[in-house]
Amino acid sequence: MRRFLFSFLSIIICFILQTTLFRYLDFGGIVPNLLIIVTSSLAFMRGDKSGIVAGLFCGILVDVFFGSYLGFYAMIFMYIGFIIGKFNKIFYPENIILPLGLIVSADFVYGFICYILLFMFRNKFNLGYYMVHVIVPEVVYTALVAVFLYPVLIRINTYLEEIEQRSAKKFV
Amino acid sequence: MSPVIKRGGDKFTLPSKYLLFILTIICTGMIIVTFNTDAFSPTVNSAIGIVVVPFQKGITTAGTFFKNTADNLASIRALQSENESLKAKVEELTTENTNLEQDKYELTQLRELYNLDSQYSDYDKIGARIISKDSGNWYHSFVIDKGSDEGLAIDMNVIAGGGLVGRITDVGPDWAKVQTIIADNSSVSGTVLSASENLIATGDLELYNEGQISFSKLVDDADKVSVGDKVVTSNISDKYLPGILIGYISAIEEDSNNLTKSGKITPVVDFEYMDVVLVITTLKHTGE
Repeated sequence: MRRFLFSFLSIIICFILQTTLFRYLDFGGIVPNLLIIVTSSLAFMRGDKSGIVAGLFCGILVDVFFGSYLGFYAMIFMYIGFIIGKFNKIFYPENIILPLGLIVSADFVYGFICYILLFMFRNKFNLGYYMVHVIVPEVVYTALVAVFLYPVLIRINTYLEEIEQRSAKKFV
Repeated sequence: MSPVIKRGGDKFTLPSKYLLFILTIICTGMIIVTFNTDAFSPTVNSAIGIVVVPFQKGITTAGTFFKNTADNLASIRALQSENESLKAKVEELTTENTNLEQDKYELTQLRELYNLDSQYSDYDKIGARIISKDSGNWYHSFVIDKGSDEGLAIDMNVIAGGGLVGRITDVGPDWAKVQTIIADNSSVSGTVLSASENLIATGDLELYNEGQISFSKLVDDADKVSVGDKVVTSNISDKYLPGILIGYISAIEEDSNNLTKSGKITPVVDFEYMDVVLVITTLKHTGE
């Protein structure tokens, strides 16, 4: 229950920050993708099922406020959560390089899918431009934010797990 | 035991790939449904709006406050030196003002000619504050802090600084989503005032950094349209009210088919530093 609440709150907070605060802190109109960081982190820490649910929720939020069709971003985020969740088997709280790599590649894949589905299908083939002006800046900025955000998430998660283990021991 | 549903302890658990499969089907279903109708939007919009919108409003207000305070402190010193130079400029401007007075008279005449002014002020408008902007970097839409409770509805036009910003594409009880004309997926039917020729103005992500939008399908056999001409929304647009200023033509070139022309328009609205907009509550009647 605690963990569910933590996931729910972190997603909501990140969504709100991304659409308000980071709009003031943008570099050349580019905002970091906090939702990808949260989805990837939760998936990596908890496994693929949590990844699917977290991704679905993030995506639905984006869909309702900014998407044209309900379910479009939900599906992209959901698959990213699922795939990253598969890496849960090699998860150690101390390791930070691997999750950062995963977040970066997730954001890159996300940008690329968005380009293909939203732009290439409308005969906009100038991939180089979109790569240089949207996808890569977003990935770099997201990675920068993830360096600070991921340790916070992992610390809260470890803390919650400890509490759960303690209360489980009490029952035994 | 069924291979699909494993029994884990006392409760049923579903393997993740089946969960993914089921949710994918649900998502696809929702995409198809929302593509054709807008069945979900009223309920989902109000439910999620209740959770998120109050926070967005709060943070935006706080953010604007801090930004303004910081700006104030930084600007005091700059203001002192600026004051000196401004005094000198006042004299210069006084003479210029006299000239402008004459121009203004001319402008009033021109406005009457185009009958623009009366059209603009006839519409009922509501002011609204922008509380959040698009979460991604692909499109440029934003959310304002008024919704259906204030009488806003889908397809109402949004203006700021005397020019067209976009139109409302989604509405909740106390928020509304505005699609801007610079968004890559938006098109507006416009008219070049000097030649009364129609064109299609389309947002373009590739031109976004230059602060411009592209236009196409301009039929101009007599070469009447030139750089600097005013573009307003056209009478034949089915979503936008006629006569709202979009911007000025900044580049023009002939298409390869030798029939139409395309080019760029500089919008009058500064989309980067926009925080208050006006919503025109009159809807265009297309006689459907």
